[in-house]
Amino acid sequence: MPDAITKDDISDVYPKVSETIAEALGRDVDEVTLTAPLMEELDAESIDFLDIVYRLERQFKVKIPRGKIVEDARGPLSEAEFEQNGFVTEAGFTRLQEHMNEVPAERFRTPFKVRDIPLLFTVETFCKLVIRAQKKSAKSPTG
Amino acid sequence: MMLFQASGLADKAVIITGGTRGIGRACVDLFSAEGADVTFFFRNSTEMANEIVASGRAAGQRITADQVDVRDRKACEAAVEQVAERCGRIDVLVNNSGVIRDNLLAMLEDDDLQTVLDTNVAGVFNVTRAVIPDMISRRAGKIINVSSVSAEKGGRGQTNYAASKGAINALTKALAVELAPRKITVNAVAPGVIETDMSREVVELAPEEVKSRILLRRLGTPIEVAHAIMFLASRYADYITGHVLHVDGGFKME
Repeated sequence: MPDAITKDDISDVYPKVSETIAEALGRDVDEVTLTAPLMEELDAESIDFLDIVYRLERQFKVKIPRGKIVEDARGPLSEAEFEQNGFVTEAGFTRLQEHMNEVPAERFRTPFKVRDIPLLFTVETFCKLVIRAQKKSAKSPTG
Repeated sequence: MMLFQASGLADKAVIITGGTRGIGRACVDLFSAEGADVTFFFRNSTEMANEIVASGRAAGQRITADQVDVRDRKACEAAVEQVAERCGRIDVLVNNSGVIRDNLLAMLEDDDLQTVLDTNVAGVFNVTRAVIPDMISRRAGKIINVSSVSAEKGGRGQTNYAASKGAINALTKALAVELAPRKITVNAVAPGVIETDMSREVVELAPEEVKSRILLRRLGTPIEVAHAIMFLASRYADYITGHVLHVDGGFKME
């Protein structure tokens, strides 16, 4: 699993990610712990994710396409396999839990609405987003 | 220098779409004369764009031109990113690109509808979406959309154009709501009948009738619209958002 994200990978990017998120949300950096859910604990709104991703792109000099977290969460599943009428399917739910393993199990509840996925985002989710973008750009330096 | 300080536009990074002619060109002239660092997008008129850049730079102004089709989302993203890298930020966006394909509804070709909606509406979405992450992260920015009197007082043969500009008014108000918490203002100007290449054909059909519908009894000039746009981009309009400012000499429909 050359693409697996290790704890060391997370530790490497976490200080800058937490600083960036703290700046975007106007919070004290101490509040931005690795496990903090952004919407529930740090009062982030969906528009803040745009801001955070934009700042992370500049901070880490990587490109992160809009909607990348949800797209990655879906993984190999097609849209129809992942969601039905706005709800995450059973297969999608399994995939989501695997992919977002930084989120405590009790925060996954069925039925789960696709639009509620951002409620799951923690600071670690953004660390992983950055690491994946770094790995991708290392593989294809020209983008 | 006092004048520059007054409007607060000196050194501001400004993007103007559709900058080679009419209202867009007047905005390029006015903002750059005010000391702003202006980048304008244009689609076809390369020669004209080069002339504007050359004459502006000869006068010591900061003007850059970029050939961008606003209907192309990726091209908009790339162009905006270049401006953000060069200027370090984007302070003002003037969404001015627009086309007309006037005809009676029954005679409209599918393409006449799509072309107008693609440029006048989707084009505004494309450029604005590319610009707002920077404005959001800085908690500052001013977006001015060029609408039209047709949005509220559409004339015969203007269903497609009027619909596109009605969409711009609606978009302006909804986006103002979205972006107000990030201290970004979003406004529109709604020009009436202005002396531009775009309106010439319409006016030439019945010049006196057109004037009779304008309280001031004359057509507007591009620079008069640009003044209103500059006002909305300036510090004088810091407390104005979600507004459609009519610049139409008192246009009335009968």
